Amino acid sequence: MSESGIIEIFQNEAREILDNIENDLVVLEETKSSEVVNRLFRYYHTLKGSSGIAGFTSISEFTHSLESCLDLVRSGKISITEDLISILLQSTDWIRGTLFEGGIGEKYDTIKNDIFTRLEVIRSGEALPVSVVADKIRYYRIKAAFAENIFEFGIDPLIVMEDLFESGEVVENFVDRRKLSMLSKLDPEKCYFSWRVVVKTAKSIDKIKEVFLFVLDNNEIIIEDITSEYVENLDEKRGEKKLGDILVNKGIVTERELEDVLNEQQKENKKIGEIIVEKGFATPKDLNTALGIQDDIKKKIESNTVRVDTMKLDNLMNLLGEIVIGQASLNRISEALDEEQGYRLKNALYGLDRITREFQEQIMSIRMIPIGPTFDQFKRFVRDMSKQIGKDIRLDINGKDTELDKTVIERISDPLKHMIRNSIDHGIETSEERMNCGKDSQSVISLNAYHQEGSVFIEIKDDGRGLNYEKIRAKAIAKNIISKDDEVSEEKLKSFIFLPAFSTSDSVSDLSGRGVGMDVVKSNIDALRGTIEIDSIKGKGTTVRIKLPLTLAIIDGMLFRVGNSTYIVPLLSIVESIQPKKDDVKTIKGKGEVVLVRGEYVSLIRLYDFFSTSADHTNPWESLLIIVETNGERLALMIDDLIGQQQIVIKSLDSYITQSSAISGATILGDGSVALIIDIHGLMSGLKNEKVIE
Amino acid sequence: MDKDNKEKISLGEENQFVTFMIGSETYGVEVLKVKEILGMTDITHVPNSLSFMRGVINLRGAVVPVVDMRLKFQLQEKEYDTFTVIIIVEVRERLIGMIVDTVSDVASIPVSTIQNTPHFTSKIETDFIKGIGQIESLLVIILDVDKILNHEEFKKIEEDKTA
Repeated sequence: MSESGIIEIFQNEAREILDNIENDLVVLEETKSSEVVNRLFRYYHTLKGSSGIAGFTSISEFTHSLESCLDLVRSGKISITEDLISILLQSTDWIRGTLFEGGIGEKYDTIKNDIFTRLEVIRSGEALPVSVVADKIRYYRIKAAFAENIFEFGIDPLIVMEDLFESGEVVENFVDRRKLSMLSKLDPEKCYFSWRVVVKTAKSIDKIKEVFLFVLDNNEIIIEDITSEYVENLDEKRGEKKLGDILVNKGIVTERELEDVLNEQQKENKKIGEIIVEKGFATPKDLNTALGIQDDIKKKIESNTVRVDTMKLDNLMNLLGEIVIGQASLNRISEALDEEQGYRLKNALYGLDRITREFQEQIMSIRMIPIGPTFDQFKRFVRDMSKQIGKDIRLDINGKDTELDKTVIERISDPLKHMIRNSIDHGIETSEERMNCGKDSQSVISLNAYHQEGSVFIEIKDDGRGLNYEKIRAKAIAKNIISKDDEVSEEKLKSFIFLPAFSTSDSVSDLSGRGVGMDVVKSNIDALRGTIEIDSIKGKGTTVRIKLPLTLAIIDGMLFRVGNSTYIVPLLSIVESIQPKKDDVKTIKGKGEVVLVRGEYVSLIRLYDFFSTSADHTNPWESLLIIVETNGERLALMIDDLIGQQQIVIKSLDSYITQSSAISGATILGDGSVALIIDIHGLMSGLKNEKVIE
Repeated sequence: MDKDNKEKISLGEENQFVTFMIGSETYGVEVLKVKEILGMTDITHVPNSLSFMRGVINLRGAVVPVVDMRLKFQLQEKEYDTFTVIIIVEVRERLIGMIVDTVSDVASIPVSTIQNTPHFTSKIETDFIKGIGQIESLLVIILDVDKILNHEEFKKIEEDKTA
């Protein structure tokens, strides 16, 4: 392998490790858990080794000193402070810089020296003996299979086990009850149980052996020190595990209880965890540890992957697109054939269609990646920002496993960051203000992602002060968007936030800057064919909800004809198609035409006019109208004829080809002609802009 | 800077050009820039596009914009006939079609005969005319396809790329 190949592999690996380190550092600051320290230690260790191999000696040396620093943390010689975490976070920046930007020069040397001096201060500083991480934590696995006749020796195994449990924290506890016989055959003077326990303790192995001193000889007692392997070998044998199994295995919930819970779940469609807590079988804390384990196991499984160049995936997707086009052209041929042959070809095509759809889903699923890492990267961001601005903020993350198209994830990260920044800067009050309002001084920003109605939703929610409608109104008046006397609904006021250069913040901070923002966020989301909406309750907080399509490349579209041209509208935007009565079409002076649809007036767009082409009919009551909807608003598009629905491969058009926001792309039809895809959202906002200009 | 140097080198001793006619004039583009030449095909009109943009065509699964050179040169429009062809050229890694009256030949033009563009009246855009060459007595206007789209339009492409 060439040297550059090695470097590239290393860089990819390092990027991942650095991301993990950052996350864990933030977690460590919160939890101060020794497990996280161990994990961090391993990350640094891997980084040190790989950077040495790849020839980045400076990184290797650097991480070595970080590693030894962490060793001191692990052995409890230095405690985990905010300062330490900040330095370590800064050190990841240095490594990143060195790795990806060359990182040579005075700037980097200064940073490096600074980090070292600060580390030295911490290291030589008060060597706090009172540390969260206890001295020399060891893990022991104890297998205790007591002899059946143990009671005859006057020993109660339960007392022995209780002794053991008192010697440290029980991490795993499994009771083997397989030997237990039917009640009728049960001999109460026999012991049927054996235990498998993992204990976490600072005591030496001899101390543990002392517990079993009196039973060691006649019973099968195996005590092993598994400290070195324990954290790593989470549960690779069993693969993905269910939450219930983990809880049972840990001895928190019994099998019978679990059965109860599962029955309940079938009836009520709640999460297992919720029911378990409700029933009081486990505390929320127990549940969280179990969830943590489940996550870790999943990560183990996820690491069993192949790295594939995204180019290859894109090519695959393009080829699939060609297949879909080819299929469409076969479909056309089938229509031209005589009835019997046409029917047979259609049937065959129907089968093919099913396969291509499945094929498409599979390829799509390769392109889908969980949003977790994107969310995780904000942990540090929120930490750093809240420290800088002096607000106490916790970031809650949910729905990490929700999968999105890779391109979407890449492009959603910046808008998310922007909105989180907005929340921290504008939405969330200072701790004093919060106290005065009777809120918890720590505020919570929560990120959530979930699937619904064939789309992906991402929510950014804060419990801050909410939107200030008066301010928005005042600003809108100042900007001449509305006049002083206009009655404007809150809905409408909210939409102003997305206008360019519209900021209500009094002071310009270096965090959020001025005004440029939400309009950019909106255009980014528009580009992904997504929508964005804001819910806000004054004093309670703001929720921004982004709705995104699952995929960008293929959509279900409705084909229709206007004059000689074929156009396509995404099927999802279509509500219905109607042929209006003559009386239902009205012209409103200065505002164009409207049509009465089910008791509601909807703007009528003559597409032939809009696209400056010709049409068969120029009277709406002679042609068809399709009613489309976006963001709760409706439009009636006047067309000549519906052709039918079909899967559409979207080919993007370079922006220099058309300035029209109503065209989101083009596709190639079965007959080889190119049809334009109409973007309802773009069409609507285009119309609105026109009105503003007028 | 680099780019300009390369252009000069590529205009070595003798270069090959695809020549074509628009009206009574002969034009040429470097043969290496030409991807293929198609007969006239269905063009889908795109609303709200540049005035000389005819629309888009399907080039074996790719959607390619086509420019009518008569419109670009502000000449009178002419009905398309069997001689009308679309020359697909590559401009900054993108394909663009040029509709011309008829394609003539692939000819070698000695570099020494190529003259820089004389200054025409400012009414005509001269940006995309690279020079004027000579094949025997025939004058060939050599086009710089990279400049089919003018500066503003290019900026858009570049913006798209960085976006």
